Amino acid sequence: MASGRAVSRINWPGLAVLALVLLAWEAVVRAGVIDFEFFPAPSAILAGGIELAKDGILLQDLLHTLLSIAIGWSIAMLIGISVGLLLGFSPLVRRYSLASIEVLRPMPGIAFAPLGLLLFGFSLQTELVVTVLPTVWPVMINTMGGIANVQPRLADVGRTFRLSRHEIIRHLLLPAALPSIIVGARISLGLALVMAIVAEIVGNPEGLGYGIVREQQALHPEAMFAYIAVVGVLGVILNAGVLGLTSLLWPATVPRRGM
Amino acid sequence: MLDPVFECRSASVTLALRDGPRPIIADISLEVHSAEFLSIVGPSGTGKTTLLRMLGGLLQPTGGEVLVKGQVMTGPPEDVVIVFQDYANALLQWRTVASNVSFGIERVLPRKECADRVRQALDLVGLLGRAEDYPWQLSGGMQQRVQIARALALRPAVMLMDEPFAALDAMTKAGLQDELLRLRDQTKTSFVFITHDIEEATYLGDRVAVLNGSPGRIEQVVAIDLPFPRDQIATRQLPEFLEYRYRLHKAIGHG
Amino acid sequence: MGIRFASIRQLMSEFPSPRGLLPAIVLLVLWQIFQSGNSPYFPPPSTWWTGLIQLAAGGRLLTASVATIQTIVVGLVLAIVSGVLIGVLIGMSQQASRALGPLLEFCRAMPPPAIVPLAILFLGYDARMKLTIVALSAMWPILLNTSSAIQHIHPILLDVSTSLRLSVFERVRLIVIPSVVPAILLGIRIALPLTIVLTLLVEILTSIEGIGALMIAAQRNFQSGQVYGLLVLVGMFGFLLNNAFSIVQAVILRRWPPRNVQA
Repeated sequence: MASGRAVSRINWPGLAVLALVLLAWEAVVRAGVIDFEFFPAPSAILAGGIELAKDGILLQDLLHTLLSIAIGWSIAMLIGISVGLLLGFSPLVRRYSLASIEVLRPMPGIAFAPLGLLLFGFSLQTELVVTVLPTVWPVMINTMGGIANVQPRLADVGRTFRLSRHEIIRHLLLPAALPSIIVGARISLGLALVMAIVAEIVGNPEGLGYGIVREQQALHPEAMFAYIAVVGVLGVILNAGVLGLTSLLWPATVPRRGM
Repeated sequence: MLDPVFECRSASVTLALRDGPRPIIADISLEVHSAEFLSIVGPSGTGKTTLLRMLGGLLQPTGGEVLVKGQVMTGPPEDVVIVFQDYANALLQWRTVASNVSFGIERVLPRKECADRVRQALDLVGLLGRAEDYPWQLSGGMQQRVQIARALALRPAVMLMDEPFAALDAMTKAGLQDELLRLRDQTKTSFVFITHDIEEATYLGDRVAVLNGSPGRIEQVVAIDLPFPRDQIATRQLPEFLEYRYRLHKAIGHG
Repeated sequence: MGIRFASIRQLMSEFPSPRGLLPAIVLLVLWQIFQSGNSPYFPPPSTWWTGLIQLAAGGRLLTASVATIQTIVVGLVLAIVSGVLIGVLIGMSQQASRALGPLLEFCRAMPPPAIVPLAILFLGYDARMKLTIVALSAMWPILLNTSSAIQHIHPILLDVSTSLRLSVFERVRLIVIPSVVPAILLGIRIALPLTIVLTLLVEILTSIEGIGALMIAAQRNFQSGQVYGLLVLVGMFGFLLNNAFSIVQAVILRRWPPRNVQA
């Protein structure tokens, strides 16, 4: 009976729609109804993707993008969490820096691409500049917010229990701020993916983003679509991965259903 | 004896659930006459909400029928208005108080008459001074009065109230209870008042129906013979009041 | 009458203290002092200003700014109209939401920049392509927020509309849409920076007329002062646009319960 209920929980209409869209796409292209020069059928895209995978190019590009995301996100987390903690714990520091942050934060990451190119040319460093700078903010703001929101109340609780300052931070404040920090980390990760792709499209001829542009300029639409599909799937996997990991490590911080 | 304004004849509601049909309420027979106040008490889980939705026309009975002014109900009828417990979500928070009160009538009445009725209704509940405020600026008790005013503006024959004061504090509740009785005297509207609070049901009602069991049935209808006007302190101390309270507690199974 | 300005006052009070600008100002001052005018990588702020003046002189700055702003504004408007319309249609139908769910999720997860080369391939290298991609990408947050909000309209409110025998049109006009206005505005708030980013991205990638094109041109010509100057300009523009929108949002939402008042 349990398996029956699990089966009914699968979103059949949703899968049907996806399948229908793919089939219709295939049919429409094959029938020649839509005759865009650059509009391949899903079967062609799949074939193109397999080609690329066989050559190893796709894997190479994927690894580069993943590496870039990993490094960029780690740096952003490091800076974001440490500065965020500092801001969260000290109202004084907040008062003398928040306005500057509010002015810098709306700066679109893409705007740093020409600057990155200026400083580092076509290289990984440029990619990192474009990835790290905008990605720092969600983590920093969420860390700061997480601490600042709970600090007064929990600090009082800690003092009534006569805990040392260190103990208060370690056992009360940090765990309470954790959900917020994790949300910031998730947002940053998604952003890191987007910015890495942006940087690869514009600044660094390596990785999945560059793959998309390269195939576009070479007029290989199937390969281009394949790269785009990989990027899309990567985004879904990364998000699901972080969500899964957090629900494993810190189950209490994950919101149930409806996120 | 005049014909009842509102009537249920062996009405029942059976829901078709995944593991088979489940009767929620069964064999409900009720009568409400003009200007009468009928309280319905029951513990949770007896289908009070389902009963209310059926009476309000939001649900069709699967058996039996509900009649308003002698006509069988096929959908939400014009002469019946529901006042919900969740006043915050039952009001349109983005409209002013006056605009909320006119919500039911603005599409059917000409402007001037609509404005007159709104003013009357707000006057009846004592909120004329807050007409241009927004519901979220008002306290819980006041918001509930706005909902009542909206119902009154429709000049219904029957007001259905679903535990309307359950979310309010004791003092506000007492004030609103008395206001309801005053409104009944002034407008001659009939009231069907659903509650889990036995004392409230007794204090307000001309009759109290007990909903109990699974599926919920009307097990008893107790006629309340207490003097008018009712008083929060004096009436509640009368030996007859305590007697009714005892009977009803026993009927529900608390005794 | 008081509430007309209450929410705006609240907004103003939420602005961080201007003392917080100190680090930024100190940084700029030190930068100016310790860098000579010749550094190709970290030119002092004075060169940023002169760089911008250079661009303004030829009128290029103005035409580029107009092109960029135009794309952002028109793109946003198109995104709002289509996002709300489709969002309402999807939100109102349980079956549609469930059936289209995975498809919409996939579209949401797809980073818009990845679609830019696709748009270039299909639509060519012109301003119309730029507008199309900006509008199409910005539509998603608005669409998703709208349809999600409609699905979360409190059932009691729907009961009220049934009980008062409202027609479908009346229900949508009088209850559904006003209920979701705050969510729509939130979606627009998310869409706004997206339009800026995409517009600049397309301009940088294709050198179609706009600030982005100026930026990449400055970089290619090693005009580092201009690069920084344009960066500051973009930053200021983003800042102004976001805050202008916050004010508009506060003005529109002055009739709705403030977020910290639990309705």
